[in-house]
Amino acid sequence: MNVVAEGYNAFETKKTPTGTIKYLPDPQSVIALISSGKLKEHILLVQGGTTTFLTPALTMGAIGVITLSGAPESHLGILSREFQMPCIMTAYRTDSDARYVTGGKNDEHFKAMIAALDGKKVTLDCTNGEVGRVVLAD
Amino acid sequence: MKQMASYTKRYEPSDDGLRFQDLVYQGNFHGMEPVPDGILGDKVMKQRAKSKVLEKVSHGDVLKDQFTIDELNDLNNYLAWNIWDVLVMRATEGESGMIPRQEYEILAFMHEFYRWPEILQMTNDEVGAQGIIDIGASARREIGTKVNCVHDWCIGAVGFGMGRCGLLALEVIKPQDYIEESNIILKFMQRILWGKRQDGYILNSQDRYRCIIHEQDVLDKLYGEIEHFEEGSDSHGAFVHFNAAAELLAFLDHYDCRLGLGDTGPYPLPNGKVLIVRDLFTNEEAYHWSDVCDHENVPHCYTMVLEIDAEAMGLEEIRVNDISTTFTRPKNYIPYVTGGAVFVREKWNTPMSEVYPVKISDLASRLTGVQQATLKLYSKTARMSRRQLITNGMYVYYIDMILPHLRLAGTYEKACRDLNFWEIDHRVSDYYYDITKRGFAQATVPQKIFSGEGYLPFPDNADLRRSKYFWD
Repeated sequence: MNVVAEGYNAFETKKTPTGTIKYLPDPQSVIALISSGKLKEHILLVQGGTTTFLTPALTMGAIGVITLSGAPESHLGILSREFQMPCIMTAYRTDSDARYVTGGKNDEHFKAMIAALDGKKVTLDCTNGEVGRVVLAD
Repeated sequence: MKQMASYTKRYEPSDDGLRFQDLVYQGNFHGMEPVPDGILGDKVMKQRAKSKVLEKVSHGDVLKDQFTIDELNDLNNYLAWNIWDVLVMRATEGESGMIPRQEYEILAFMHEFYRWPEILQMTNDEVGAQGIIDIGASARREIGTKVNCVHDWCIGAVGFGMGRCGLLALEVIKPQDYIEESNIILKFMQRILWGKRQDGYILNSQDRYRCIIHEQDVLDKLYGEIEHFEEGSDSHGAFVHFNAAAELLAFLDHYDCRLGLGDTGPYPLPNGKVLIVRDLFTNEEAYHWSDVCDHENVPHCYTMVLEIDAEAMGLEEIRVNDISTTFTRPKNYIPYVTGGAVFVREKWNTPMSEVYPVKISDLASRLTGVQQATLKLYSKTARMSRRQLITNGMYVYYIDMILPHLRLAGTYEKACRDLNFWEIDHRVSDYYYDITKRGFAQATVPQKIFSGEGYLPFPDNADLRRSKYFWD
């Protein structure tokens, strides 16, 4: 099992969604993805752990999400549990010591995470109560 | 192999509860052991109090108009810990990419601290101390009411606690300022919450994270509409999906904040399961952007009644925290929802006799309405400027947190007409330009608010009547 990233697991689930990671930088990219009809082909990568940004994706049945900040107590963590959509939060690369710092300057960390994950085909493993794992599918 | 449910042990006096997080709280307790989260944290905070204000208090105590300095400081310290307890992990979520929440939050905190005292005092003058207690008590017999944990908590935790903390961090007030106004806010909060709980406590964290407020006949009526189902059944799927969709719209309508949700419970059931009663406020008529909800015939509130099989889940702890949100260990309770009911309150003032149930098999068209309103509201929100989003978000906090209490007191119109409720104070308008400098909204405020170090105590010898007389 090639684990490329880990993070807080929003909730325990046996679901193991597989898809190509797609980074969503702004609301327009969220709307464009919904319009493309390819939402369910992707694991969504977002910077924040808030709910509103991903609203249409949640509504239309996103299969899984990775965030670069936030925790299960964050609004997206709460909603992912309600939708039973696997969600790994404040993800970090397993081959790097770089971590998200609350209130800190995280731009470089975010860029590195996006560069490392965007476009990869992965499976989310959210069986553990605390740690969610992003596993390479290819 | 699944564990036996052990959550009832949490209600034994000697039990310290589970830890939901690794972090600990320091606050104003320099040189002392840090305080953990949960039931043990509540015990430590009560032990460190100088007064009896964190113990069960009497009707007579609540009717008194004035807290002592020790009581004010004990409430300040307890609320600071409670804020940390419920929000420190949420606060890791960073920027939203959609709504500048940190910015609107800090402006609202400060605005509330400046403006609410006059409005709350006017309301207290209009209906009296007992009238305020009675407004709190109204929540015992109603569903779909915003007189709920999160709104009531916000009066003191946000308007006083975070508002004062933000202004102290901005260095525009000092610890000895606005003592009289702080007393007004905290007394209002205490009266509402005491009237609602009626067990002497004011906060759920003081009672091992329980919010058992509904009268038995109200619960019986709600439970009487429960439809039972199994995980994986169509009914289970339809119920939990509707719950999630309505919750999402409630979040969006309230600008990504918790004011759209309201859980009470856990109510123990004779069959060993537990009941959570959840209000999802899907259409707030006070917001101009909520017109899209009107267009889709989305009501003011959907109330979801959830029966959870604690034994099958192996439930170890359940917290209905003071911002009206349920968290459990294990975390995922959704597969163990074994029964549900849905009720509709069309408007905020619809009489309880006209609140009606909806069968799970009839939820499909309502789900479509919720989803359409959600997509329209997202599209509308995505086109707004940063200034519009911050202004709207600030109103969500500043108006909505006390709106339900003013509505029931009959003082909302007077607050708008005579006290310019919907106007923005000149000082806070200016702060708009200050909060983005030197990371104030993104770093300084979260650090001060969520570490607890920004809630400076009132000086021991301060005059209880003191307001602020000098601006330097």
